[in-house]
Amino acid sequence: MDIGDTPEEAAFRAEARAWLLEHATPAGDHGENHDLADHVEKALAWQRVLHDNGWAGISWPEAFGGRGMRPIFQAIFNEEMATVDETLGPLTVALGMVAPTLMRHGSPEQQQHIGAMLRGEQLWCQLFSEPNAGSDLAVLSTRAELDGDEWVVNGQKVWTSLGQFAQWGILLARTDPDVPKHQGITYFLVDMASPGIEVRPLVQMTGTAHFNETFLTDVRIPKENVVGEVGDGWSVARTTLTSERSSIAGGKTGWNVDLLIEAAHIKGVADDPVVRQGLARAHTQATNLRTLGYRIRSALSMGTTPGREMLIMKLAYARHWMETTDLAMQILGAEGMLAADDEGLRAIWPFAFLNQYAVRLGGGTDEVQQNIMAELGLGLPREPSADRGVPWKDLPR
Amino acid sequence: MNFDLTDEQQVVTDLAGQLFTDLATPERVKAVTDADGFDADLWSALADAGLLALCLPEESGGSGMGMVELALVAQQQGRHVAPVPFVSHVLAARTVAEELSAVPAAAAAVQGAIAGDMILTAAIAEVGVNDPLNPTVTATATPDGVRLSGEKPAVVALDRAGKILVPAVQDGSTVIALVDPAAEGVTVTPLSTTNHEPQGHLELESVLVADDLVIRDPEALDRLWLRHLAALAAVQLGVGEGAVTQAAQHVSERKQFGRTLSSFQAVSQRAADGWIVNEALWSTVINAAWQLDNDGAGALEDVLSAAYWACEGTSEVVLGAQHLHAGIGADVDYPVHRQFLWGMQNSTILGTASSHLARLGKHLAAGSDVGSVDR
Ligand SMILES: Cc1cc2nc3c(=O)[nH]c(=O)nc-3n(C[C@H](O)[C@H](O)[C@H](O)COP(=O)(O)OP(=O)(O)OC[C@H]3O[C@@H](n4cnc5c(N)ncnc54)[C@H](O)[C@@H]3O)c2cc1C
Repeated sequence: MDIGDTPEEAAFRAEARAWLLEHATPAGDHGENHDLADHVEKALAWQRVLHDNGWAGISWPEAFGGRGMRPIFQAIFNEEMATVDETLGPLTVALGMVAPTLMRHGSPEQQQHIGAMLRGEQLWCQLFSEPNAGSDLAVLSTRAELDGDEWVVNGQKVWTSLGQFAQWGILLARTDPDVPKHQGITYFLVDMASPGIEVRPLVQMTGTAHFNETFLTDVRIPKENVVGEVGDGWSVARTTLTSERSSIAGGKTGWNVDLLIEAAHIKGVADDPVVRQGLARAHTQATNLRTLGYRIRSALSMGTTPGREMLIMKLAYARHWMETTDLAMQILGAEGMLAADDEGLRAIWPFAFLNQYAVRLGGGTDEVQQNIMAELGLGLPREPSADRGVPWKDLPR
Repeated sequence: MNFDLTDEQQVVTDLAGQLFTDLATPERVKAVTDADGFDADLWSALADAGLLALCLPEESGGSGMGMVELALVAQQQGRHVAPVPFVSHVLAARTVAEELSAVPAAAAAVQGAIAGDMILTAAIAEVGVNDPLNPTVTATATPDGVRLSGEKPAVVALDRAGKILVPAVQDGSTVIALVDPAAEGVTVTPLSTTNHEPQGHLELESVLVADDLVIRDPEALDRLWLRHLAALAAVQLGVGEGAVTQAAQHVSERKQFGRTLSSFQAVSQRAADGWIVNEALWSTVINAAWQLDNDGAGALEDVLSAAYWACEGTSEVVLGAQHLHAGIGADVDYPVHRQFLWGMQNSTILGTASSHLARLGKHLAAGSDVGSVDR
């Protein structure tokens, strides 16, 4: 065992750090960007900068325009990037979910998109959830029917993050209602400019419209845009969902406890024993997350899939988020719930504090992750379910 | 010992419950929140029903009731997250009535407050460490009266207030001045809060207040603060109850995996956790209010216990309710997020869970006489 960087990794880290120092916006402006369109544009622009300088797709195969390095190098780069004020957050669906899915299941034509994502030319959204298909995603009822060389899609999706800005979407639709729910689903790539797609923003309590309702009426999708086999969309979707979990968990090193320490000093509570204990606890959680992250990366480097660690990571991350933003509120007090401030403290914490609920829902809720962990991690029996083997069309509604 | 409400208390509870149910419907609350955050219709209905005069002394035209009755009404308000500055107004009016009723200008303010025509508020939250018992505003004696300088953050209903109670320090002692926001040297800056409750930042630059409008009773601020904590805890109780009720209803109706969500134990137990916290908060709130009515400043430990539950407990309750709604609750057209925003905001405004614990712990460890408020 050796938890430290190898000489090769250390050299890469130093190179990345030096490059970021020169090209990235330095950390220090703690402001949260509330102009979503601008946030998206900045992420795309940053991806272009990364691409033009050879820092995009570090661990992606060379055949897809990447550098073909081991995953640990991407992880090191992410870790270094977390110290500057740049984010690729809005590109999570594209880079973290669609690209890995297409590498594994896509046709050569579909894989052309990977290059465009790498070059920061495309924003993608995920059209999976429906009003009645959240945790039970496989029960989804958006229909796709074949008409000549095209599929015609009708239905409604919801909570589509950044759907109002995306050029492309990944879509799950039911193509065969006569088989059990997991079997009759097909996975599509859909051009968001297609006629019949209507995206209606939903405002959240943080004041931004991060996600949308998406209505699909007679949307025509060419046959070539089916990913994998018709009716085999669930197994393609599992690749996407696993990648989603890893990208929610991976690359994150927890809240920067230094920011909290700074806030405690500014508010004059740095010698309050309760606050100090909270800071210490946040530090221990951040350490846990960081070492968990190392385990994931080293597993990736050895070529294994760190499934359990990913699950634990997502849950631990959500808890750390909750406790840390809670502590921030303890430190900021009444002023913490106000919207703007010249010390730059309030700009980030209230938003993060209110958003803690979302961290525990997106990408599968805590309970759903815990169910998976009970099955995969502990080998406990699956929850009894009444719908196994029942054709989708006969399921009770 | 008897925890049952008296007939009079039951009447007050029912009356308030009916008013908030009828007038603070989710649609109305949304409309008001999207506008200026103050429900003028509800406000006059509360005045007409006599609820703004609830715990004011009878000599001033009030009903002569106490903190228990106030808590019962505040609880109803919280259930409906009704956008009116009920607690700050009634408590400020009570303080003015108790301490300054001999002064005509103050007595007029109380009459205006009872009728709902003049909104009163108290600037309790403090800048910096937010220790309301150690005001940072300074008061200086001059031949014409007292001059106040300093600032107060997060003052509820400041934009509409006709008079503001401002705690300050004069020659080492705590005083509370009744400030007219129209006076020279007063600057009011509206603040945008996360739950959309109208609040303002108050700046005072050598603001003159007549000597007879300054409360000099050294315990008046302790009382005002303790009452605020207890009343706010009662609002939180209602907020939490509203959240759990909505969550229970949602998970009993929504189906996933072919069954109602409530049939998953992880779901029903999370809802039950919320219910348990609400029960604990109910007991501590009623206890704190009753102690305040019967033992005044001796209620410190009881009030801090309630305040702690109202911060730590209620934020867990509203978070749980939000979680159980998952995606649908994240959309602001759906009402449950208001309980979340209120619960979260109220858990920081007059001190936080940790500051209440710190104060209580210090008090207990010092073995102070039960009740005395230490600074
Ligand atoms: C910020 C955010 C962004 C999102 N972005 C996208 C997106 O881009 N694209 C997309 O397709 N979707 C997106 N979603 C949707 C997200 O995937 C769903 O919200 C999530 O899967 C939960 O589904 P639901 O909201 O229907 O909750 P429900 O399934 O109705 O769950 C309600 C509650 O019941 C619990 N529960 C459900 N089943 C079980 C069980 N078996 N055991 C125990 N507890 C259970 C849940 O944990 C939850 O607390 C987003 C959601 C959020 C909050």
